[in-house]
Order: sequence, then structure tokens, then C-alpha cells
Amino acid sequence: MTNNSKDILKIENIEVMYDSVISALHDVSLSVPRGKIVALLGGNGAGKSTTLKAISTMLASERGKVTKGKIIYDGTSVTNQNPTEMVGLGMVQVLEGRRCFGHLTVEENIITGAYSRKLTNSEMKDELDKIYSYFNRLKDRRKSQAGFTSGGEQQMLAVARAMMAKPKMLLLDEPSMGLAPQLVSEIFKIVKDLNEKEGVSILLAEQNTNIALKNSDYGYIIETGNVKLHGTAEKLLNNDEVKELYLGISKQGRKNFRDALRDEVNHKKENKFSKTN
Amino acid sequence: MTELLFFVEVVVAGLLAGTMYSLVALGFVLIYKASSTFNFAQGAMVFFAVLAFVGFMELGLPFFLAFIVTILLMGLVGFCTERLVLKPLMNQSEDTLLMATIGLGFVLEGLAQAAWGVEVRRLDLGIGDFPIQWIIDTFGLFVSALDLTAGLVAASLILGLSILFKYTKMGLGLRAVADDPGAASSIGIPLNNIMLLVWTAAGVVALVAGMMWGARAGVQFALVDLALKALPVLIIGGFSSIPGAIVGGLIIGATEKVLEVYIGPYFGGAIEGWAPYVLAIFFLLYRPEGLFGEKIIRRV
Ligand SMILES: Nc1ncnc2c1ncn2[C@@H]1O[C@H](COP(=O)(O)OP(=O)(O)OP(=O)(O)O)[C@@H](O)[C@H]1O
Ligand SMILES: [Mg+2]
Repeated sequence: MTNNSKDILKIENIEVMYDSVISALHDVSLSVPRGKIVALLGGNGAGKSTTLKAISTMLASERGKVTKGKIIYDGTSVTNQNPTEMVGLGMVQVLEGRRCFGHLTVEENIITGAYSRKLTNSEMKDELDKIYSYFNRLKDRRKSQAGFTSGGEQQMLAVARAMMAKPKMLLLDEPSMGLAPQLVSEIFKIVKDLNEKEGVSILLAEQNTNIALKNSDYGYIIETGNVKLHGTAEKLLNNDEVKELYLGISKQGRKNFRDALRDEVNHKKENKFSKTN
Repeated sequence: MTELLFFVEVVVAGLLAGTMYSLVALGFVLIYKASSTFNFAQGAMVFFAVLAFVGFMELGLPFFLAFIVTILLMGLVGFCTERLVLKPLMNQSEDTLLMATIGLGFVLEGLAQAAWGVEVRRLDLGIGDFPIQWIIDTFGLFVSALDLTAGLVAASLILGLSILFKYTKMGLGLRAVADDPGAASSIGIPLNNIMLLVWTAAGVVALVAGMMWGARAGVQFALVDLALKALPVLIIGGFSSIPGAIVGGLIIGATEKVLEVYIGPYFGGAIEGWAPYVLAIFFLLYRPEGLFGEKIIRRV
């Protein structure tokens, strides 16, 4: 059921509710052109993860539901799919907070990513070699228990694991979360590499607006469940409002990103911070 | 010298009996790993499985066929449990699931009795509860053939399951689900298949345990309580550890036999029934995570 339209993913005016009462998205539309990287930006609680989970159909397991609008992936409506089927169709989500299998070794974690595929031993070996060529660090740690690797290694592992499913499209949820700037650049470099060499289309949710836009083709900014702004990455990086609110650059000079956002999201923080790994 | 030999006999008998506890505990561990719930229905599954097995034999099925049909039936029970109980309760709290397994236990007990009646059945596996001559001649020990068979069967089943979980794709899937079901589902591991696998495996374990116990003491309702001895085993071994279930079972088996023989008389006997729970309480007090309880890995 492949389809050659320009966009691999198209979301039209979706509304999402949790528990049938908590409305998380009001009206979100976006599209991801084939082979491109699109950034989905916004502060805490804006609805980035909800959007990604609506696409990957992981919402159902959190008692969430798309109540309006539609999501078309590669010519198919995802409404009646489940996560296993979505992975089979080549759509894989890397969940927020890495979520590696702590008791499995690094290599076992990577192998689980190929669960949906039927690979012979030699094909598996080739796939692993290919993955290790992108993620050198993981090769050295492949026998370690994943739970004891560093945050950066775990983030790489989560992406590597998802790549083993041979996705046409990756949904990355905050790959930069809690990582040192140097590691963040390293990870984005790999993501960009995967996009170029493997041709995988990427929708990337990030709070780190700057690095996300610098590595994307297009960007959407959402706020409290609505798309507020969108445009090419270049245009957004030069937009005054974006500079002020999301890049922390005001007319008076540079200001901390968190300060800029703080007023806006303070009231949301309490219930968001109970999240754990 | 005879004193020592007798002691060894008691310990060996205890260890052999303990393998059965290990086996049943393994059934609990599998389900605990896959759905983080203590499956209170496991005892009922033992009863249900062996009663069905005896029932099929009474209907005239040969031993082997009855065994296969019962395994299929347990697979079906697993399937229905997954579809009718676990799936609708997905994402509910662990307490809710626990209550659901208690309910499931009652349903299975009721179904078993409705289908096959309430009287105690005899199960003859063709292996007597008498000492093996060869072992008496070689080691001077009295070891019951039934105990030995049960021990060997349990040990090979445990070994088989461990290999399955360590080296097969399904096994890897199960371990992934045990660590993080959400993440497992995000990379396309079908949770319902894994649940089905786990419940069927637990069903097979239940059947084998029921057959071994039933052969000794008759197929009867008391098997449900016997199976719940897996609880102290798990407290000692740790709920999520397969090696823990094995060692815990052996410890319980050996300890209860030794206590029964040497201390039992002072309490008027039959302390096998509660001694394991006393042991478990000591563990709860001094080592609550059990001997092999997996340390929770947490990294921020
Ligand atoms: N499982 C859930 N049940 C109920 N409400 C939820 C759930 N998950 C998210 N929400 C709510 O939906 C809204 C959007 O949350 P979402 O997680 O999508 O935001 P986000 O943009 O990913 O934020 P963050 O950057 O903090 O991850 C928030 O108000 C949040 O409280
Ligand atoms: Mg999020």
C-alpha cells in the first residue's frame, strides 16, 4: 500500500482527549515530506508527545483517543491500527525518556528492534554491523547491561533499536532531554546521517528549539494543543517571535531559554514533573 | 552413620519435592514478569489442568493424547484470560490486576468442578511411590521413584523454559516486555502474543505440577493450596527471578521436610503446611527483596 505522494505523513485537524475528558490537542495539522526532517517544537505540556503518540497509535495504551480529524501515513489512515501494525508499516516511535530495556544487554536491546522482521542469523549480523557503524559508542558497550550505561548511550540505544525495525519514518521524542550539549550535537549528527543515508523521514519533538531547527527542514511550533506557527527551519530561526520566546534571544540581547519560557509554562509544571524513567 | 544417612534421605526427598515448588513458582514468575501481577489463579490452574487431564483420560483418551489436549486447553485458557481479563484491564493498576486474578481463580475452580465433578480422583502415572532398588544398593539411600521422577521432570521443564527465554526470539520479547511493556510495544513486539505465551507456559507448568502432586495424593481441591506454597518460595527467591524461583523452591522443599521430620513431632506433626510461611516471614523481615530479587535499575 505504498503511495508516492510528496508527504509521507499528513495530519489534518486532529483533536486528542485523554480519559475522554482531558483535551490535550485541539486542532493540530502538519505534514512531513518524504525524506525530510520536521521539527515539532513547544514547551512543557504543549502537546508534542501527544501528537507523536497519536501518530504511532501508542495513545490507546494511555487511554487517549483521537476524537477529530485524521492522520494519513503513507496513504493509509492510522485510526484503526495498533502499534505492532504501525511498526510493520515502517513507522517507529522513539519514546520520550529513552526507555531502554534495563536488564537486557545493549546488543539484546538493539536486536529487540528487529522483532517485527524475519531475519536470518547472517542478515541480523549485517544489520547489527550497519547499526554499529552509525553508533560507534554502542559497539564498545554491546555486552553491558543497558540499565548501567550513560544517558547519552541510552538515547543512542533507543534510536538504534528503533532503526533496527527498518523504519520509513521515525518519530523522535526529545532526544536531547537531560543530555550535555556536546552529546546532543553528537546525537543530532547521527540522526541527520540516518536521514540522509537511510532515507528515513523524521518527525522530531523538541524543547531545544535551536538545535532542532538547525537540523531540520521545516518546523511547527505548538502551544497548548494548537499549532501556533510553522515555516521552513530557516524562516523560523529568523522569526522575531521565535527568537524571543523559544530561542531566548530578545531585542535586549540573549536571555536564558528557560527564563523565557518559564512564565508561560509555570502553571503546567506541577503535574508534569512526576514523570520518571 | 545411619543417622546421617537418614538425614541425607530426608534432605534428598525434600529437594525433590522442592523442584515441584520451583516449577510452580516459575509459573508465577513468568506471569509476574510479563504483567507485574501476582497470579493468584495459579493454584486454580493447577487444579483445573490436572482435573481436565484426568477427565480426558476417563473419556478414554490415551495418556499422551490427553496430555496434549490438556495443554491445548490451557493455551485456550491463556488466550481467554488475555482477551477477556488482561486486555480490558490494560493500564489499570497492579492491584486491579491482582483482584482480577483472584476472580479468575474462582472461575477456574468453579468451571473445573462443574465440568468434572467434585470427588477426589486417582491418577496413576504408572510410577509407584516406592524406593528405587538401584539407589539403595549403590548409595544405601531410600529414594522414592515418584519423587525422583517428579524431580527430574520438573528440572527438565525448568531447564527447557530457561533456554527458551534466554535464547529464542519469543524469550527476548518476553524479557523486553518484562522490563518495559510500553517500549516493547513501540518497537512492534506484540504484547498479546507474549501474554499468550506466558499464560500457556504457566498452564503447562500447572498441568505437570498437578499431575505429579495428583499422582501422590489424589486429584483434589487441596492442590490449590499446595500450589500457593509458591508464595513463600517467591518471597525467598524474589518475585521476578527465575533462578530465585528454582533455589527458593529447593530451600522450601528441603527445609520443610527436615523440620517435619526432626521438629514436627514436638508440634504434633504436619508442620509442612505452615513452616514455609514462617520461613518466608523471616525473609520478609530481613531480606524483603528475596535472595535473587532483581535490583531495581534506576539511572537519572
Ligand atoms: N496520559 C495522560 N493522561 C492525561 N493527560 C495527559 C497524559 N499525557 C499528557 N497529558 C496532558 O496532555 C497535555 C500535553 O502533554 P504532552 O505530554 O503531549 O506534552 P509535551 O509537549 O510532550 O510536553 P513535554 O515537553 O513536557 O514532554 C498536557 O497538558 C498533559 O498534562
Ligand atoms: Mg513530551
